[in-house]
Amino acid sequence: MPSLLASVFSSRTSIFASAFLLRAILLVYGIYQDSVSAIKYTDIDYYVFTDAARAVTWRSSPYDRATYRYTPLLSWILLPTSWGGLWFHFGKVLFALSDLIAGWLILMVLKRRGLQEGKALKYASVWLLNPMVANISTRGSSEGFLCVLVMALLWAFETGKITLSGILLGLCVHFKIYPFIYGASMLWALETRSSTSTSTTLQSVLKFFNTNRILFISASLLTFAALNVLMYNIYGPPFLQHTFLHHLTRIDHRHNFSPYNTLLYLSSAQQAVPSLAGASAALSLESLAFVPQLLLSAFLIPVGMAKRDLPATMLAQTLAFVTFNKVCTSQYFLWYLIFLPLYIPNSSLTARPALGATALALWVLGQAAWLQQGYQLEFLGRSTFVPGLFAASLGFFAINCGILGIVVEDVAISPVMNVVAGSRPSVSVSASASGSKPTSKTETNAVSQRSTDGPRSSRPRGNSVLDISDITSVHLGPRNRVLKSN
Amino acid sequence: MRRRPTYITHPSRAVNPADIQVYQNQLLLGALKAAREERLTLGLEELPQDVVDVLKESHELHVRWAPERPYNTTVPFLSRISPGLHVLYTPLKEDQPDRLCNLLHQVLGPGLRCESPQSTFTSPALISERFAQTASLQYYSLLPSIKPLVAYLQRKVCRPSDLVCLHTATLLNIADSVDFDYDSISHTLTLTTMWSRQPDIIYDPIGEFTTLDAWNLDIPRSGSDKVEVGILSPAPAPEPSDLQLSGFLIVVGEDDHPKPTLFSFPSRHHSLSLDQSKLQRYTISFDKPTGLHPILRISFASASSLTEPKNKPVGSVCALQTYLTLPSHIFADKYAFLSNDPLFQKSHNLGRLRSITGETDLEAPNYVVNKWGSTILLEIQTPNDRESNHKDSAGMWDVTIPLHLRYLEPTAGGTSTVEVPWPIVFWACTAEDGTKFPVNPFDRTQLGYDGLFGPRTMFYHLNPAPQNGTIVERIAVPVLDTEVTSPRTIEYLTIVSIALGFLWVLFKLRWSTSRTGSGNDGKKNLKKKL
Repeated sequence: MPSLLASVFSSRTSIFASAFLLRAILLVYGIYQDSVSAIKYTDIDYYVFTDAARAVTWRSSPYDRATYRYTPLLSWILLPTSWGGLWFHFGKVLFALSDLIAGWLILMVLKRRGLQEGKALKYASVWLLNPMVANISTRGSSEGFLCVLVMALLWAFETGKITLSGILLGLCVHFKIYPFIYGASMLWALETRSSTSTSTTLQSVLKFFNTNRILFISASLLTFAALNVLMYNIYGPPFLQHTFLHHLTRIDHRHNFSPYNTLLYLSSAQQAVPSLAGASAALSLESLAFVPQLLLSAFLIPVGMAKRDLPATMLAQTLAFVTFNKVCTSQYFLWYLIFLPLYIPNSSLTARPALGATALALWVLGQAAWLQQGYQLEFLGRSTFVPGLFAASLGFFAINCGILGIVVEDVAISPVMNVVAGSRPSVSVSASASGSKPTSKTETNAVSQRSTDGPRSSRPRGNSVLDISDITSVHLGPRNRVLKSN
Repeated sequence: MRRRPTYITHPSRAVNPADIQVYQNQLLLGALKAAREERLTLGLEELPQDVVDVLKESHELHVRWAPERPYNTTVPFLSRISPGLHVLYTPLKEDQPDRLCNLLHQVLGPGLRCESPQSTFTSPALISERFAQTASLQYYSLLPSIKPLVAYLQRKVCRPSDLVCLHTATLLNIADSVDFDYDSISHTLTLTTMWSRQPDIIYDPIGEFTTLDAWNLDIPRSGSDKVEVGILSPAPAPEPSDLQLSGFLIVVGEDDHPKPTLFSFPSRHHSLSLDQSKLQRYTISFDKPTGLHPILRISFASASSLTEPKNKPVGSVCALQTYLTLPSHIFADKYAFLSNDPLFQKSHNLGRLRSITGETDLEAPNYVVNKWGSTILLEIQTPNDRESNHKDSAGMWDVTIPLHLRYLEPTAGGTSTVEVPWPIVFWACTAEDGTKFPVNPFDRTQLGYDGLFGPRTMFYHLNPAPQNGTIVERIAVPVLDTEVTSPRTIEYLTIVSIALGFLWVLFKLRWSTSRTGSGNDGKKNLKKKL
């Protein structure tokens, strides 16, 4: 049996076939459940997308559909869903395929980082065979589509395609705002190795703007601006309002995993009903919530980590962004889950199974406690806002901070990697320009050699793969249901 | 001022004309058990200035009020609305500074949540722009008592010495419907009040006597104003779409004896036949526990009896419908209904969503919502719509409507109570071409739902049958409990947690940056730990 398992996990075909099959089964099951039950497998948001796509076929604005808060690109991509019949499920197929492509990109990045095919596949299946991921995308949530863009961004960057990664970053930020934090870490990682140690401030500023950085910044800004100008020209102010400004003005009072949640509910009520305000006057403090969030995810973590391990940095950034965000629902967890396969080969969570198991158990329990309180509130009508939900969300916040601390620490003890730092990108850029691939290839090989020598390969990994995928079977269904019912 | 009192007695209690005493300037009749409608038509010059100011800015204004206790309808007063205050209003100009809310506060109580028609009122759906049958703006509020109106009339309309006026105004307290209608074409305001039955007890301050369970008619002619009194009983109508009344009409001051009369007219509103209306009574409840997603349940005692009105015209097509008036704290997710998913409809015994208007934002808490709320017109499936499923037709028939609550302000104690008026339920049936409802002298329109149908639609109303005497449901809503944890504590705990979390990550980061380039140390370190 173990040998069979091993062979299954080592074959690329079997992993991708199982990943495909898993999604195909869920997709067909979803269509079946939708056809026989009033409780739909399909995500509520999917109806928002498809309604918006239908609006586009009628030559009206996707923003005519209330709560459509995405780029019009999404509704354009989903236009086939309005063709009727089984085409309705086109988007889910697309999102599920995005999962597979994201998995393939993870595999590529892992192999580039020197892992053998078998091990790389094993880690990639944390994503590919993760039922939570498959469930979310086959239900029609667009997060999987964003994840493939983000992974493509990382892959392009790691393979030295600076312009492409700039374009992808612009696209990602246009799609959902948060990936802009990756711009910070990638910019930081694109350092010119300096030979001279002494330099004036002006020199170092000038040095900061090396060719790659300028290329990366301009490609991403141009893409982002071009997309926005295009969309604004077509759809006008509603595009700006729903895609971007909404996130500045929303109240986020409904209970969610964010530690700010209770405070936001309280202060939104106090702003609307001044008589409630009473003694507490300093409640506008929550408007400063972005300070710790952005300091960590867009500045401190990139600066402290990006040159050592970019994928782990991106994981830490995303985890920090989601954990310190003013609103946090279960779909946001997918944002950092995509980086997990790239981080765990190098992680003390797998090196020390007890630590990994504890972290996982706490992460699950933190959510379970919150969900239990949320269920009491939503469906039993008990006022569990305080202390129950408040404590549960602070507890979950603490757990996430703890895990974030472990990730940060893990990167800290890893050496500054040449893979991401210094001359490599410029070499590959010149290589791609001149068409001489061997240069970059040799370097890749050298790097792989070095990293396989590193601590990661010598560590026991336990059965981390199974552990992680178990997360979902434990609690995804009920949690999603509770959240969706909001 | 023109006054038109109408008394409707049961046919078995038809009035003997000899009992009606008609004098030159007065009509007298004692101990009459009857439903009553008073219709006063007033010119602008007869109204208080603050009312005139608002009416002059109105194209049309219709105010409807119904009490929270149920009442039985009588021919020809057969329409029903949800309990509370309904206002339908079309301003003269689109963007005028509007004082309607001020007037509503003055006349009906300062507790009404009404900022201005632009911000608080909603726009009802129009079935046709050109032949708009309904006003452009709609407002609703729960209003358990009409007492503020009585006080306003006594203060602003009655002379302090006018005992009859002061006393008559108090009769509004026991009315079953109060309507005001104004339009800029007639420049008159009509006040129509209806009592479904005689009062249990009534005191005459002039004659100084008390009457139990009856009206005492003492109707004077006042100056040059005409008073046309009707003392009538319903009779079987020749046409199913018609109502018929027989009895006596007396114009006080003109006539010297009661004039016998028999007349029929088409009516928009109908009741079911006696046996059908008993079997099709409905009860409203919310499934327990209500949580934040209450399910409104319309229960009919007998599924098999839920059939089209027997008294509908031949060839008329009917559908059972419900019209919900939902204050802003409760709302329906319109997309759940708009998908027209047959499985969803079947699981709730619902049909198509015909109309949903007003505040349907899915996310906003109640304290940031400006509009008063929303209205929903929904078709209801009946057991007969499901020929395949015969076992359903035995026993009860329940229709469920999934609704959602908005977040409310935090309170001490952690619970707020909100009120939801019972929806009305009716069969909407087609009437023959050429049926002219406006000739009905008791025609009642601008009820909110009637404008959502074509002009030739008849409404056969089902009767609400509450267990506890009220047709308003109360729901406990969980809110943030300011008693358990003070706002300040929440604030401090949140900030301290965020700060600690931030510092913890920062500490880990600092530790990492301080070891820049010391990868080997790290490796050793880790190996030691292992």
